[in-house]
Amino acid sequence: MNMPITNPLRIGLRQERVVTPQCLVIFGASGDLTHRKLIPALFELFKQRRLPSEFAIIGCARRPWNDEEFRRKMSSALKETVKESPKEWEDFSSNLFYEPVNLQHSEDVINLAQRLDEIDRLKATHGNRTFYLSVSPKFYADACQSLAAAGLLKDPKRNRVVIEKPFGRDYGSAQTLNQLVQNCALESQIFRIDHYLGKETVQNILVLRFANAIFEPIWNRNYISNVQITSAETVGVEDRAGYYESAGALRDMVQNHLTQMLAITAMEPPGHFDPESIRNEKAKVLQAARLANELEPWKSCVRGQYSKGGNQSQPILGYREEPGVNPNSTTETYVAMKLFVDNWRWQGVPFYIRTGKRLAKRTSEVALTFREAPVHLFDAAGGTPTSNQLILRIQPDEGAEFRFEVKSPGSGMRSRPVEMEFSYDESFGEPSDEGYVRLLADAMLGDPTLFTRSDEVEAAWRLYTPLLELIEDSPWQLPIYPYEARTWGPAESDALLAKDQLLWRRP
Amino acid sequence: MSPQLTLQTPLQIPPSEIPSYLKKLWTQEQIDNKGANTFSLIIWQPAWIEQKLVTTGKINEPILGNQRLEIIEAARQIVLENDLPHSTPPFDKSVLASIKACRDIEPEEDLRGQHIDHSISELKPRRLITLAPTIGKGRELEALVAAYCPLPEEGGGNAACGDVVVLRGDVESLKDSLHTVEQLIPNDLPSWLWWNGSLDEDPDLLNKVAIPVRRLIIDTALGEPLRCLDLLQGSIKNGQAVNDLNWLRLRTWRETLAMVFDPPNRREILHNLVNVDIDIEGENPVQGLLFAAWIADRLEWKLEKDIYKEGNIINAKFTRLDRSVVTFRLMPLPVGKPSIHPGQIIGLRLISRPKDDPKKSVCIILASESGECMRLEAGGMASMELLEEVVPIQKNSAEMDVARLLSTSRGSTSPLLANAAPLAAKMLGLINPTK
Repeated sequence: MNMPITNPLRIGLRQERVVTPQCLVIFGASGDLTHRKLIPALFELFKQRRLPSEFAIIGCARRPWNDEEFRRKMSSALKETVKESPKEWEDFSSNLFYEPVNLQHSEDVINLAQRLDEIDRLKATHGNRTFYLSVSPKFYADACQSLAAAGLLKDPKRNRVVIEKPFGRDYGSAQTLNQLVQNCALESQIFRIDHYLGKETVQNILVLRFANAIFEPIWNRNYISNVQITSAETVGVEDRAGYYESAGALRDMVQNHLTQMLAITAMEPPGHFDPESIRNEKAKVLQAARLANELEPWKSCVRGQYSKGGNQSQPILGYREEPGVNPNSTTETYVAMKLFVDNWRWQGVPFYIRTGKRLAKRTSEVALTFREAPVHLFDAAGGTPTSNQLILRIQPDEGAEFRFEVKSPGSGMRSRPVEMEFSYDESFGEPSDEGYVRLLADAMLGDPTLFTRSDEVEAAWRLYTPLLELIEDSPWQLPIYPYEARTWGPAESDALLAKDQLLWRRP
Repeated sequence: MSPQLTLQTPLQIPPSEIPSYLKKLWTQEQIDNKGANTFSLIIWQPAWIEQKLVTTGKINEPILGNQRLEIIEAARQIVLENDLPHSTPPFDKSVLASIKACRDIEPEEDLRGQHIDHSISELKPRRLITLAPTIGKGRELEALVAAYCPLPEEGGGNAACGDVVVLRGDVESLKDSLHTVEQLIPNDLPSWLWWNGSLDEDPDLLNKVAIPVRRLIIDTALGEPLRCLDLLQGSIKNGQAVNDLNWLRLRTWRETLAMVFDPPNRREILHNLVNVDIDIEGENPVQGLLFAAWIADRLEWKLEKDIYKEGNIINAKFTRLDRSVVTFRLMPLPVGKPSIHPGQIIGLRLISRPKDDPKKSVCIILASESGECMRLEAGGMASMELLEEVVPIQKNSAEMDVARLLSTSRGSTSPLLANAAPLAAKMLGLINPTK
């Protein structure tokens, strides 16, 4: 008998919240994100019956499509998914609409408002509207202003706006953008999305820390010697050269995803599990974070860029050879840095974070290394006992592992490290939802817990301001070190840890 | 205990004046405040045992209508004093029948509907309408009305968020007042009816007040089992949104059992189940049958007609998809201090025996306490691979269960319950007295 994919006793037990009647408006509907992430996530919600019958999705972009064309484009972009569930897609796609909109033309936005009223009547969505800005960041402010001018954000309970990353390019621009957006809507209406926070495993860090009594007492400087946060990709810049050239790894990954992982790992326990309590604690920890050497910031960071790699049969292009990339580009595709969090819990504990493209392995994880046992009573197989480590695997192979020393079999008393494993696959046997599934549902439900508040965004940018200024003003102080594609980054990155007699974990 | 704060002392007014009074209350005293945009809740609140305990002088407290400790203890004392079986649940009808009057006294205060449990009031219901029937006939209808707000620590702000209406009188006068009740339900908000009493009492009234647009909350542990299950499945069949507190209390059992089979390498065990044994507390079989029906439905088993009762043990057979037979047994067990919820499950044992490799047999035991674990382990179970879990028994009051329901559900009938209820009813309906 074939093993069923789903546990039959699990079906129907999850109590997922159902979205209230809703109209989701996607700006940038002709773009990649819409068909790669947003529509698949919404279709998944539909299949999970978490969307009400009073529901509509309105795609907006400059292209002169109509409803039918939009439906056809989405259907063809998702053809594999559609093939698996044709009936469901047919039902779902009848909720897709399209309105050509140029956000810089106010008359387009006014037309959109009229169309929304029509759809409101047609689908009984009660004026509940979520506007998703999947457009170039330079249009965020204009988009919010146009929406506000057309009166589409006037009801703080019914109207929300979701803003994709990057939110600003640095501290100053993030502040300005926050002010502009907050002039158009209340903070409670603004949902700054970071899809990493939608990942089950990132949320699990909160549960692991605050639902178990054993971790919290040792989750501090007395027991933890250092923390390493890694997000490694094997892919290169792919077709995002245009954006990536102006962003680089620091803006693309560190300021948002890795910083959010840092915040969740290092934050204090919130008093309640409510959006503001959690976001207060995250903001506080980011405000307490700093580069390890603020006076000489170049000593806290290493930048790298992948060069060609692979072998003769499968050569891999270097970053500068990639289509759309400036052959003399100084954009970093790798960043490693050392941070401290100046508070009672973490004083003196280094947080090392690294991210890069074309690294040896695709992995995201948080590794907490504990202090060594004060006295070594036993011979260790590796010379000295390995420090205990708790590794929280974000992706792939989601789960956690704990490394500790045990007695090696035999007549002596030698110790060696072993691993205790928890794997989502083995324990639950079902894949987790994509981050966007969770976050889109939360946004439409008006739950901002997993979205970034203005002060968090600003604190994150402020943290990296010394580095951004260096890159801007005196880039020679933060040089780009090349590394061979599909390796673990430049040797200088290892040197950053070697100064502290440490090594990067090899996941 | 004052979980809910009324803005003024509830005012007694003629029932016919309630709608106009409420309108005036909001427009004159709460300008710009239209009340919470939440839901309205009608509560049938007979509290017969509490009324009897108070009016016979067994306890000296106002009538509140909730399941508080003092009432539970007083009811348990009645069980002891009247030589009722020790496993009699405190709110059983035999307890009500056994309360003998020391003296007939008029209750000091009847505060039903005015003291709503904070777990409910913190959800900010827009309107709470309590139907409070009194013991004895000839009591004319009284109406009490007040605006209220939850206390600040429960999340209440300065604004009044709702109002309470209490209709008190004998059952006949309450029936006559139903047209007033209908006028009081805000049209634009979801409305719920919580039948907080036995399903045996006054089916006519229940039918009248449980109109299809209303989300119904019942407890199938309260009442004659077959009638409860018939009513449950009948209401679901008629399209009513039904929420059964007895089913909700099964949540931890369903969740724990599903958890056992979450690891993919255990799924095969489910295909080879040959025995399902469920132990329940006391005699009421409804929860046990609903649980068995849920398992059978999820695993696509078919019920055989060969169902019989052996003493008070229910025996049945199911056929698996591969036509193998699964034997089911529901065993009531007497307990010393029964829960307030009759017939709660205290143990489950599943035996999986692969035909081609009996050595790979597995016994799964879920039990509410270690004594029950040991009972289910007996009979050679330890010779198989054992998977055991302890399931915390549900001790929540009905008010807390209802609050949980109101805060987490949109009120529609759970599809799992909709599938399990007819099967459970069928099982009970098919039982032969003896075989």
